[in-house]
Amino acid sequence: MSCQKTKLIPAYLDEELQGGERAALETHVQGCAQCGTALKDMRSLRAAFASTERHPAPYGFATRVMALTRAMEAPSPGPLPLWERIKRGWFAPFVVGFAEAAVLIVVITVGILAGRVMTNSNPAMPAMNIASSLSIDMFDPTPPGSLGGAYLAMLEVGNEK
Amino acid sequence: MHDAEDLLLIKRFSNGDTSAFGELVLKYQDKIYNLCRHMLGNPQDAEDAAQEVFLKAFQALPRFQPEASLYTWLYRIATNTCIDFKRKPVWESLFGGPGEEDRLIHDRASDAPSPEKLHQSRQTGEALQEGLGKLSPKLRAIIILKELEELSYEEIAETLDISMGTVKSRIARAREDLQKIMKKFREQNS
Repeated sequence: MSCQKTKLIPAYLDEELQGGERAALETHVQGCAQCGTALKDMRSLRAAFASTERHPAPYGFATRVMALTRAMEAPSPGPLPLWERIKRGWFAPFVVGFAEAAVLIVVITVGILAGRVMTNSNPAMPAMNIASSLSIDMFDPTPPGSLGGAYLAMLEVGNEK
Repeated sequence: MHDAEDLLLIKRFSNGDTSAFGELVLKYQDKIYNLCRHMLGNPQDAEDAAQEVFLKAFQALPRFQPEASLYTWLYRIATNTCIDFKRKPVWESLFGGPGEEDRLIHDRASDAPSPEKLHQSRQTGEALQEGLGKLSPKLRAIIILKELEELSYEEIAETLDISMGTVKSRIARAREDLQKIMKKFREQNS
């Protein structure tokens, strides 16, 4: 069965108990093994903390902090020109700068001109020529140098048999 | 408890004297950095967090209520900043072990201990560091404020904006957990 007064040990160690309560606990601890052990363990923990190294701030820390506070205090550049505000607004993606627009126009113009040059070098065919060019009759079944002739000859040999 | 010097610095700052804030930083930089160092476990995170603490204080100082004490106010900013700090997993890069630059063991040349005591002290330091690393951030904060910064229960309550009852129960819980972890660590490493 655990001693109920054990929970007072931390406050005793931290000097948070008032006069009468403190004296009463001191008397109790002398006769209670459990409270005595708890107090000893807690003192041991305190000693471990006492041996912990304290870390001073790094060299120049305050200087760096003050430099950052001065940067925070730097005045804002004032209201932006109308065009800058338009460019940075929600419709900014749809707004093309003058330079970008000029480049776009040049590219489109070059493309159109190039297309016209290419089409002019190949004059349009009369309708009749178009029709005949698409006809199957224009295709030679056995173009010179192909195996088509040999293939047809084989078929004819087979048929003879 | 109100520090007269702090009140004067705050008054100067509110009158536009920003150098007063510089004096305030010099006064509290070691305490705040030490707290951040033990909360976060490595020097870089500690410096970043400590810087953030003072920048937040710089912005919030115009709204500071003189009824509160300045150092508990700074400790509150520091504790919250460290608990919310997300640079690295907490205590990922522990500074422990022999030969490490950032040891938890006090070893000034002026009071050189015997080898046995040094070994025992080193083991205790390592066990403590292990224990602190495994506590939750809130329990770690409260035990550091109590054992390292030596704040009273009342000051801790004011710092963390919790009741005295909660302070007592958390400190007791932190000590209990810490002792268990340290005991287990020692048994595993003996």
